[in-house]
Amino acid sequence: MHHLLFQPIDHHARQQPERIAFRCGSEALSYAAFARRTNQLANLLIERGVERGERVGIYLNRCLESAVAVHGILKAGAAYVPLDPEAPADRTRRLIRDGDIRCLITAPALRRKLPGLVNEAGPLEWLVGYAAADLEGVPWTALEAESDAPPQLRILGDDLAYIMYTSGTTGEPKGIMHTHRSGLAYARLSAQLYGVRPDDVIGNHCALHYDISTFGYFTAPLTGATTVIISDAHTKFPTSLLQLIEAEKITIWYSVPLALLQLLRSPTLSERDLTALRWILFGGEVFAPRHLRDFMRHAPGARASNVYGPAEVNQCTFYHLYAPPETDAPLPLGWVWPDSEALVVDAHDRPVATGEIGQLLIRSATMMKAYWKQPELTERSFYHRERIPGNRETFYRTGDLVVSDSAGRLHFMGRMDRQVKVRGHRVELEETEAALAALPGVHEAAVYARSIGDNELTVEALVVPDPGAPATPDGWSAQLAKLLPPQGLPTAIKVVEALPRNDAGKIDRLAIRAATQRIIA
Amino acid sequence: MEERILTFIKNDLLDDGQLDLTPEDDVLTTGLVSSLAVFRLIDFLEQTFRVRIPAEEMTIENFISVAAMSNYVRSRQTEQQV
Repeated sequence: MHHLLFQPIDHHARQQPERIAFRCGSEALSYAAFARRTNQLANLLIERGVERGERVGIYLNRCLESAVAVHGILKAGAAYVPLDPEAPADRTRRLIRDGDIRCLITAPALRRKLPGLVNEAGPLEWLVGYAAADLEGVPWTALEAESDAPPQLRILGDDLAYIMYTSGTTGEPKGIMHTHRSGLAYARLSAQLYGVRPDDVIGNHCALHYDISTFGYFTAPLTGATTVIISDAHTKFPTSLLQLIEAEKITIWYSVPLALLQLLRSPTLSERDLTALRWILFGGEVFAPRHLRDFMRHAPGARASNVYGPAEVNQCTFYHLYAPPETDAPLPLGWVWPDSEALVVDAHDRPVATGEIGQLLIRSATMMKAYWKQPELTERSFYHRERIPGNRETFYRTGDLVVSDSAGRLHFMGRMDRQVKVRGHRVELEETEAALAALPGVHEAAVYARSIGDNELTVEALVVPDPGAPATPDGWSAQLAKLLPPQGLPTAIKVVEALPRNDAGKIDRLAIRAATQRIIA
Repeated sequence: MEERILTFIKNDLLDDGQLDLTPEDDVLTTGLVSSLAVFRLIDFLEQTFRVRIPAEEMTIENFISVAAMSNYVRSRQTEQQV
C-alpha cells in the first residue's frame, strides 16, 4: 500500500515500464524513464543539501520538466511550491521569501524573467535548469550524471508535500499546506470516483500553481494512466487545442469552464472527432448548463461531472451528468464525496435545516494541514467538534454559502466574503482594493466584479483621486500590474468624485451594484 | 512588418523596450505573451495591417513567433486582395 505520492510511479515503472507516464508536445517519458529521471533529480537535490521538508520552488511553464520537478522534489523528501511564471516579479519574490525557498527549478525558456526574481536579501541561492544573475545554475543535462537509483530516505505520509499559494484578504498571499497523505487521499478518491484506468489519457490543462493540476500529476500516475500536459501555447489557441485533444485521444478532460467555453467558440469544433472523451470534468467556477449541453453534444459518449472544492480540501463534492442537462437550472454542487462529511451551519455554527442557506463546512482526509506560517488564520479557518469525548473532528470553513436539498445534494448560493472567480482563479476583491488604495494619488478605491457573460467576470474599480492630484488610471493600472496576479487586475478604473456610502459610512456595495448593473459583489 | 510587431510586443504588451527579442523567438511557450495579451496582439495585427483573422486560423503555427505572424499576415493580405 502506497503512503507517499511518488510511490505509484516506481510501482508502474516495474509493472508497465513502457507505458507513457507524461507527454507534452513531441516529448514523452515512459514510466520507467520517468522513475529514473525523478530519482536523478532527487539525488541531485539531496547531494546539494536539500533537506527533508525544505520548500523547493517550481518556476516552469506547462512542460514535461514540470512533472519531473514535482516528483523529483518529493522523492528528495522536500515539498514543492509552484510559482506562476505569468505573475508579476514582485509577487513571486514575496512568495520566495515567504516560503524560504533556497532552490528553484526552472528552464531556459524563462531566462528573461529570472533576473527579476533575484533579490540580494532574498533566500534564493541556486537554480536547476538555468543560471541567472549571480546565482549558481545547474543545467538539466547535469541530471544524466546522477545515479538513477531511488534515494533511501525516511519520508512519512504526514510530511509536507506541497504548498499552493492563493489570494488572501489582507493582501498577503496564503500558502495552503498539503501532505503526502492528503494529496494521496485526493488521488485515491478521484481515481475511484471517475474510474480512472491505466488506458486513460488525461488532459492536464491547468497550470501547476492551480489545484486542479493534482489530478493530472497524482491521480493519473496512481492508476498507471498517461497524462498529456497541454502546453501554454495550446491553452491560448482553442483551434490548436481541439486538434490536440483529437490527436492524443484524450479520454478524461479536467479544466475550468472557461477553457471549455473557448473550445465551444472555435468554428472547428464540429469537425473534430471527440469520441475518445469519456469524462468531462469542470470545476473552479459555475458553468452555465446551456454551454455544457452544447459541448456534450460534440462529445458523444462523454459523461460530465461538476467538481467542487476549495484548494484547502482538494475536491469535496461531485455531480455527474450522464446526458446533457435538459434545463438551464444551475447545476448542483452535488453530493459530498466518499470519506468526507459536510455540515451546513448558520453564523453561530449551528446546523441549519434542509432547504435553508448556510456556510458549508467540510471534514475530509483530503484536507490541508494548515496555512503556511499562519497559525491564527489556520485556527480561524477550522471548526472543531467533539461528538465523542477525546475524538476531535476538524472541519474546514469553506466560506461558501450552500443549501442542501431533500435528496442530499448541495447547491451553491454564493460567497460569504468578497472572493470571486476570474477565469477560474480566486480573486479577493479586498486584496485588489487594498493595493489600489495604497497607490500614490489614490484617495479611496472600491473594487467590484461585474458579469460580462454567463461564465465570465471582470474586475473593475472606482477611484476617488487625492484632492488636487491628477487622475491617472493608466498609471495606476501599470503600477497594480507589478503587484497583483493578472486575474486580480481591474480591467477598468473609473474616476469618481466620491464613493457611494451607506448610513453607517461604509462603502455602499449595493449602490455600486445597482449603478453598474449586474455586479455580483 | 516584423519590426512593427516586435515593437508592439515589447512596448505595448510587455512594457519593456529593452527586451532582447528576435523575430524567430518562440513567444508563446516562453510565457512572454499571456493568454489575454494574445487577444490584444490579434487586434493589433488586424487593425495595423488591415486583415481579418478568422478564428479557425488562430493557431499556434501562425502565432508562434514574430516571423510566423508576419508570414501569416502577408498571406492574408494577398488572399484578401484576390
